[in-house]
Amino acid sequence: MDLNFSKEDQDFQSEVREFLDKEYPKHIKAKMDNGDDLTRDEIVEWHKVVAKKGWMGHSWPVEYGGTGWDATKRYIYLRELALEGCPMFIPFGLQMVAPVIYTFGSQEQKDKFLPRILNFDDWWCQGYSEPGSGSDLASLKTKAVRDGDHYVINGQKTWTTLGQHADWIFVLVRTSDTGKKQEGITFILVDMKTPGVEVKPIITIDGDHEVNEVWFDNVRVPAENVVGEVGQGWTYAKFLLFHERSSIAGAPQMRRAINSLTKRAEKIFHDEKPLAEDPLFKSKVAQFHLDLDALEMTELRGLAAEREGKGPGPESSLLKIKGTELQQRLTTLALEATGHEALPYGGPYGFENQEVMAPKAAQSVASKYLNFRKVTIYGGTNEIQKNIIAKAVLGL
Amino acid sequence: MNLNYTEEQELLRDSISKFCSSDYDFETRMKAVNSELGQDKELWKMFAELGWLAVPFAEEFGGFGGDEVDLSVVFEEFGKALVVEPYLANIVLGGGVLRRADFAESASYIEKLVSGEVQISLANYESQKGYVLGNIDTELNAEGLLNGSKSTVLNAPNADHFIVFAKKGSGYSFALVDKNAEGLTLSGYKTYDGFTSGDLVFSNCKPVAVFEENNALEVLEEVIREAIVCICSEAIGAMEKSYFLTVEYTKQREQFGSSLSKFQVLQHRMVDMFMETEYAKSFLLKVLATEDKDEKAKLTYGLKNQVARAGKLVGEEAVQLHGGMGVTQEMSIGHYLKRLVSIANVFGSADFYLKKYSES
Repeated sequence: MDLNFSKEDQDFQSEVREFLDKEYPKHIKAKMDNGDDLTRDEIVEWHKVVAKKGWMGHSWPVEYGGTGWDATKRYIYLRELALEGCPMFIPFGLQMVAPVIYTFGSQEQKDKFLPRILNFDDWWCQGYSEPGSGSDLASLKTKAVRDGDHYVINGQKTWTTLGQHADWIFVLVRTSDTGKKQEGITFILVDMKTPGVEVKPIITIDGDHEVNEVWFDNVRVPAENVVGEVGQGWTYAKFLLFHERSSIAGAPQMRRAINSLTKRAEKIFHDEKPLAEDPLFKSKVAQFHLDLDALEMTELRGLAAEREGKGPGPESSLLKIKGTELQQRLTTLALEATGHEALPYGGPYGFENQEVMAPKAAQSVASKYLNFRKVTIYGGTNEIQKNIIAKAVLGL
Repeated sequence: MNLNYTEEQELLRDSISKFCSSDYDFETRMKAVNSELGQDKELWKMFAELGWLAVPFAEEFGGFGGDEVDLSVVFEEFGKALVVEPYLANIVLGGGVLRRADFAESASYIEKLVSGEVQISLANYESQKGYVLGNIDTELNAEGLLNGSKSTVLNAPNADHFIVFAKKGSGYSFALVDKNAEGLTLSGYKTYDGFTSGDLVFSNCKPVAVFEENNALEVLEEVIREAIVCICSEAIGAMEKSYFLTVEYTKQREQFGSSLSKFQVLQHRMVDMFMETEYAKSFLLKVLATEDKDEKAKLTYGLKNQVARAGKLVGEEAVQLHGGMGVTQEMSIGHYLKRLVSIANVFGSADFYLKKYSES
C-alpha cells in the first residue's frame, strides 16, 4: 500500500494545475470565488474549455472518447478542479445518460449523442421523479403509447434540475401496466423542443429557481429514441442511479469550503476572541476534517474498484449518505459561524441594489444552508439509501 | 409549586390561537412577507384593538400589566402560525427599553406604541462585533451627537423612531432618534426567515432624547434576555406545529403502497421531534417559573442553547420527512425551518449561550 503519488502522477498533477492556471476563464473564476451564480452561457463556456482539452470523459471508456485514466489520475484531476473552486460538471449528460447510452444504447444512439455530450453541445436533464413517485420511483405513471414509428408520451415529471436550460431529457416512461411495477418501464430520450413539452419552475426555500416540473402533453418521440429494450428501463435506471450516487459525495469541494470558512473565522467575533480560536468551533472543524478524510478514502476505494471493472454498485449509497450528511454539517457550521450577518436575503425587496453591512462572504451562507436541505432528499433519499445497503449489501 | 398558566393567560392564548386559525393562514402570512413593508398595517391595528400590543406595559400607560409569562404565551401562539408582524421589534425590543428606561416623554411613546400609532426599533447589534452586548463602536459624543453604525435592526424600514444603544463617556446610553433625523441613513432589506430588517449609519446625528441613567447596559441585558425567552417560546410553537404538520403529511403521503407514517423508521424520527419539543417546553417552564434574577439569566442562556439545537433538529427533520415538497416555497414547512434556524442563531449561537450558561 502506498498513498504517495508516483512521479508520473505528480507530473500529471502539474499538468492539471497548469491547464487550470492557463485555461480556467478568469471571469468565471472570479464569480465562483465570490460565491456568485453562473449564467447558462458561462456554465457552457467552462465545459467547452474542458472539452477542448479532451478531459470531459474522465470516467468514460477510451473507445467513446474517454481519457482512459486510472483511479489515481481521476482522483487527482477531480481534486485539483475542486480545490481550484471550478464549477461542478453538469452530470446529467456526462455522468448519467452517457454511461446508459454507451452500455445499453444502439450504435446510432452512440454516434448521435456521445460526441455531443463530450463536447457539451447538448445540455441534458433528468425525467425520473413524479409527484406521486419519489422514493417509490417504480410506481411512475407517465405513459408512452406506441403509434406507428413513434411513442406518444403523456404525464408529468418533477424535480428536474436545471431543466430550464436543457436541450434533451432522458425519461422513464410506463409502456406496460401488466406484471410487476418495475417491469413495463422504458428509458427514452426526448428532445426538449418537441411540441407538448412544457417546463414549469419550482421555487425552493432558498428563493432559487433550480428545479422544475416537466409536463408531457401528447409528445411524439421517434421509437428509435428508446434506449436498450422496451420494458427494461428499470434496469438502466438503477444502473444510472448508482452512477449518480457515486458522483455526489464532493469531498474535495468540502475540503476547500471548510478551509475557507476557517480562514473567515479568523475575522468573525462572537465574543472577545476570534471564532477561529474558539475551542467549540475548533473541535467542530477538527471533527469535520477527520470525517472528511474517511469520506475521501472511501471515495478513492470506489474509484479504484471502478477501474478494476467493478462498476459502482450498492456501495455507492454509502458515499451518498455520508457525503450529503457532511455537506449539511458544513453549511450548518457556516450558518452558525455567520450568525446575524447571514440574515439579509437576496430575494424580492432583499439586499439586491442595496448596500449591506454584512461581509460579502456572509450573504450566500443562508441560501446555501437552505439549498443544501435537498441533498439528503435527491438522488434517492438517505432513508432509501439505507434500505439499499440493508438489502443489497447486508442481505437483510 | 404551580406549573399552570393563569386563567387570563389561557384566555389570551385562546384569543390569539383563534385569530391565527381564522385570520392568519399561511397565505396571509406570505402576502405580508412578500410585500414591500413586510407587514400588514391593518392587522397591526387589529392587534392593538385586541389589546395584544398592551400586554407587557404598565396599566398607567394603557397597558395590561402583563409579565414574561404572558409574553411567552403570545409568542408560542405566534410561532405556530409563523406570524411576521413586528411584535418582537416593537413590543419586546423597542418597547422593552421604554418599559425599563425612563426617557423624557417615554410615557407618550409607550401610549403610541400600545395604540399602534408608532413603531419603534431597537438598534444595538453591529456588523462584525458579535454578541457581547457592550462590545460596540457607536458613540454618543460630548456634543450629544451619534456616530457609528448598526446592522440587522429588526423592522428598521417601518420604524418611526430608533432606540440606539451607544457608548457615552466611559459607559453606555440609549439615544432616541427619529427616522427622518439628519445624519441617519437607512438601508432596509428582507431577511431569509421572512422578516424585515435594516442597517443604520449615523453621522453626527442628533437624537431627540437621551437616556440619562448610567444602567443602560443592564437594561439592554434584561431586554435581550426577555427577547430570548420570547423567541424561544415562538420556536417551541413552531416546533409543535412542525411535527404536527409532519405527522399529518406522512399519514396522507403514499409510497410503496402504504402511507409513509406506517414505516417504523419514520415513526421514530417523528417521536424524536415530539420529544425534543416537549423537553424544550420543560426548559421554558423552568425559566418562566424561576424568580431569582441571576438564576433566571443563567437558565435563559441554557434555554437558548436547548431551543437552538431542538429547533434545528425538528425543523430539518420536518423538511426531510416531507421529501422534495419540503424544500419548496409553496409549502409552509420549509418556512418553519427558516424561522427555527434564524431563532437558533440571532442574539448568538447555541455555542455562545452554552459558554454563557457554563460561565454564569
